[in-house]
Amino acid sequence: MATQEKIDLFRTHKDEYAAPKSPILINVGDGIYLTIEGCGAPGGVEFAAKVGALYGVAYTIKMTRRFAGEQDYVIGKLEAQWWGEKEGVAFDQLPMEKSSWRLLIRTPGFVGKDELKQAVSVLLEKGKQPEVAQVRLEKMAEGKCIQMLHVGPYERESDTVAQMKEFADREGLTPLGKHHEIYLSDPRRVPPERLKTILRMPVVGRD
Amino acid sequence: MLGESVGEHIRRLRLERAASQLKRSDKPIIKIALEAGYEAHEAFSRAFKAMESVSPSEFRSCSRSTLRTSTPSGVHYRGGKQLKDFNPVRSGDESMDVKIETIEPMRVAFVRHTGPYGESSAAWGKLTAQLGKQGMLGADTKFIGICYDDPEVTPPDKLRYDACVTVNDDFEAEGEIGVQTVTGGQYAVTTHFGPYEKLGETYAKLLGEWLPVNGRELRSAPCLEFYLNDPESVEPEDLITDIYAPLEPR
Repeated sequence: MATQEKIDLFRTHKDEYAAPKSPILINVGDGIYLTIEGCGAPGGVEFAAKVGALYGVAYTIKMTRRFAGEQDYVIGKLEAQWWGEKEGVAFDQLPMEKSSWRLLIRTPGFVGKDELKQAVSVLLEKGKQPEVAQVRLEKMAEGKCIQMLHVGPYERESDTVAQMKEFADREGLTPLGKHHEIYLSDPRRVPPERLKTILRMPVVGRD
Repeated sequence: MLGESVGEHIRRLRLERAASQLKRSDKPIIKIALEAGYEAHEAFSRAFKAMESVSPSEFRSCSRSTLRTSTPSGVHYRGGKQLKDFNPVRSGDESMDVKIETIEPMRVAFVRHTGPYGESSAAWGKLTAQLGKQGMLGADTKFIGICYDDPEVTPPDKLRYDACVTVNDDFEAEGEIGVQTVTGGQYAVTTHFGPYEKLGETYAKLLGEWLPVNGRELRSAPCLEFYLNDPESVEPEDLITDIYAPLEPR
């Protein structure tokens, strides 16, 4: 049985998961993520099915490793990137039904593609959501990003995004890339005014 | 293996259930005695006193005042006083959000844990590792705890708990992992937010205040806990647990 301490990427990379009350500039380095893409509103059928598929794969991989006595780790918080039909369209101006998204769960680097394949085939065999076949293991490094904590309903993110844009202007930075959210709260039970979400805005500029 | 004979074990469980009923309901003592398998009030009183050091009626009055000392007046009972003369307490904060739900029986894979309720992680570890590796953990999987015994009545080392995960009909018991059907029926349901260590406070409000105030009784079946998020990935203050208390039909 592995006696190493359990890996928690959220804590290991706490500078990348900073949740400040006003915008800051951070650098997001290489990370490995389990991902699945889709489109449509968060309340919709596709979104729900794919969130389920992603977690199903994440848990199956983790538990398979745990059963084999290998290094244990914490399943990362759910993250999502959002974009519209045209990149550059302000995120908050997107009609929800037309938005595209990529759901992400950060995963330790020692998880390999063969483990993903195995987990997917086990789940398909058990008749779980067919969407599991669309889950991928990907590497991503967003680089320079502006990040800020948003407290409150998702519909009011534009206020927070506006503050982040102002910060970008002051620092001579330009937003470029997909809007990224990290969900710290469970929307099922936390009242909307108390939801906590980290907003991340990849930027370029200055040097 | 249990440290007591089968007969002693059954007797203890019956007396403990009687203790819970004395505490949490207005059921007449003679009825509780009969249900515990005693034909006469005296025989029951003697057996009860041997275990709890007080008579059934003393136990009932003492434990009621413990449950209600959250009132500023600190009302206490001593022998004779009728329960219906007492105005049930509202502990000062908002009344609980409780829903009555009827659930269908559920087939689950489970691992039994005997001992303090807070120490069930080994049972959960075995269950989830085995089932996870087999691809049984999907989005629709429910994680349920079955709490058989009242921690205020049963000694900690004898508390029984089943860590359960819902499964379909294909799943078969193997090794330490059993299969059972969780009883359906009517339940009073309330959500506990926060650490598992504080579940007892929510139980006390649900069973000790909400039930009597709303004129309901506990059915003799275990309470269920539905764990809506994963304690390994979430801070204790963000944990969400639904408590299901089985109800006696009106």
